[in-house]
Amino acid sequence: MTARQSCWYLPVATSLLGGCGWHQSVLNPEGQEALRLAQLAWLLFGFGAAVLAIVILAAVAAVRGPEPVRAVLASARMVVWAGIFFPAVALTGLLGYGVWVTRASIADPGDGGQLRIVVTGEQWWWRVHYPQGAGPAIETANEIRIPVGRSIQFELRSADVIHSFWVPNLGGKVDMIPGRTTFLRLGADREGVFRGQCAEYCGGPHALMALEVIAMDSAAFDGWLQNQTRLASDPGSAIARRGRELFLGAGCGACHTVRGTAAGGTIGPDLTHLGARRSVGVDTAALSEASIARFIREGQHIKPGNRMPPFRIFAPDDLHAVATYLAALR
Amino acid sequence: MSKQATRRLPRIAAWLVSGAAGLAVALFVFAWSGIYNVAASSGHWAAIDWFLAFGMRNSVSLRAKAITAPKLDDPNLIRLGAAHFHGGCAFCHGAPGIPVSPIARHMLPSPPDLATSMRPWTDEELFWIVKHGIKYTGMPGWVALERADEIWAVIAFLKRLPELDAKSYRALALGDVELAGQSGQALATVESNPQGAGACARCHGAESSGPTSALVPILHGQPPEFLMAALREYADGSRSSGIMQPLAADLGGQDVERLAAYYANLVPKRTPSTTGTRPSERGRALAREGDPANAIPACDACHGRDGLARYPRLAGQNAAYMAGQLRLWAAGHHASTGGGAIMAPIARRLSEPDIEAVTAYFAALASEPAGAKP
Repeated sequence: MTARQSCWYLPVATSLLGGCGWHQSVLNPEGQEALRLAQLAWLLFGFGAAVLAIVILAAVAAVRGPEPVRAVLASARMVVWAGIFFPAVALTGLLGYGVWVTRASIADPGDGGQLRIVVTGEQWWWRVHYPQGAGPAIETANEIRIPVGRSIQFELRSADVIHSFWVPNLGGKVDMIPGRTTFLRLGADREGVFRGQCAEYCGGPHALMALEVIAMDSAAFDGWLQNQTRLASDPGSAIARRGRELFLGAGCGACHTVRGTAAGGTIGPDLTHLGARRSVGVDTAALSEASIARFIREGQHIKPGNRMPPFRIFAPDDLHAVATYLAALR
Repeated sequence: MSKQATRRLPRIAAWLVSGAAGLAVALFVFAWSGIYNVAASSGHWAAIDWFLAFGMRNSVSLRAKAITAPKLDDPNLIRLGAAHFHGGCAFCHGAPGIPVSPIARHMLPSPPDLATSMRPWTDEELFWIVKHGIKYTGMPGWVALERADEIWAVIAFLKRLPELDAKSYRALALGDVELAGQSGQALATVESNPQGAGACARCHGAESSGPTSALVPILHGQPPEFLMAALREYADGSRSSGIMQPLAADLGGQDVERLAAYYANLVPKRTPSTTGTRPSERGRALAREGDPANAIPACDACHGRDGLARYPRLAGQNAAYMAGQLRLWAAGHHASTGGGAIMAPIARRLSEPDIEAVTAYFAALASEPAGAKP
């Protein structure tokens, strides 16, 4: 065999390797809901493969088989039983099984007592709200922290167009529809960071509208939640204080909230604890002073089409001061 | 076609090709020899003069057919056009009481004295000429082609020009500014010409008088950082304006700082709002709270008392000027400047009624000098 002959299938075979990643894969369930979906998927794959094998065998037999077999395959009874009755029964059964398996993922909105998280899809980021009853509202963006092993009730909303909430490792995909609230129950069985993605084209930088679900152990989660209820910390250094002054003077507060300051805008993400997040600009850059500064100045290059205008008006020192202030908001 | 004629075709084509080639060679030899006299002083032969003017008229009128003039009777538009005409056009084209400069008169063709002998162009033809200029005449195109609004101001003024005498022209073009006669020493030693000295004040006013046109911003009391940034953006063309760019580009050395400091320290003067629109609840809401549902931030966050000195203050500003700027941003103009990059996406989210409401709100506010804040 020559090298030329042996290589023809490689491009096809290697392109299939793209499906082997752990990230965002429904075949790697990390929560009970995802596990049930994976079971359902494997059952469907297996059943479909079996039906396909039978069809191929029947096709071969119908052409090459002995006369009596061909007579059976060509009969009207074969068409009625294998062509009408079998698909109707099999598909109805599978539908029933599918609904039964996923019944727990379609959360009952009336169920109180459990952890509720409201996620609102906006062009092109995720507003994440933890209702606290009488306590202070907690709002963050683009990352959702959950405790391991608990089933979380998500309320999904949209502020503008249809988005779709999908964290493949943890569960199914549910659309966020303007004017309606949809529900989803998710949970993670182990600690980890699970990537999600808007799964309904929503314009412009839709492809960069990602999110992360961060599953933490219960105690760490409670600590995080406690920290989130606090107002923004006071800047510790002179440069951060100058950063705060510039942040407010430049009008950032018209769109962003930093609880505990005059900045109370609701158009963009709440930045009260920006420094405690993992990324800037919806998962487009790991969080650091440099990436905050870059997003303020070149946000339209990092995430083209996003709603935040580029603030090129800052002198380098001033930009550094603003980024220092924001990164220190932990 | 007969067989005979078909046979003669190649020969005719050969004659035509060699004729054209011969003509091209002859023209080249003519230009190469230097026989043709390019002197402006000698003028054109009458026949050539007629031929060139004939071609120019037809070219302008053909190209102007695609243009439709807006309403041009707004006094604000006429005053703005007059002030620009005085600085930008009168040197070559004269004005009532101002003769064409002798230097300009010795150009070929010599520019027409518009005060006394303007050809009966239509508004659209004038617009095309002012916008694009005319080849081989010395008439330049508009510095910022996208600023049709500025060009129409000049046309609005040109329509009024025939009925102006020297006194009414000066009132229109120079506004309230009194140009004190310069001393003999100043005339002898100062480089800038006395027309240029009053260039800013012609449109923006000075001391206690504000702009004569509501299309021109009030600079009195604006933060110096904002004024300097605007002048630099005009000078490098990133903020496009056929009126401001030539003036700003002329400023050298410390001129920008000094000018900015001058206007920043003037006390803002209330100029009554000329829009006739009463400030509405919607205007107040946009300015103070914005419209979060439509991703419109509150204007006051940047343009209020506590905003950076890099931002203009809007209280008491001319509504027509502000609305014009918002429309320019919404149309995608000067969005590459620091401030424009921030304002352009916001302006695009404002509807036309929003623009009118919010500019009327700010125009009706009492202005406060930026200097009042540290």
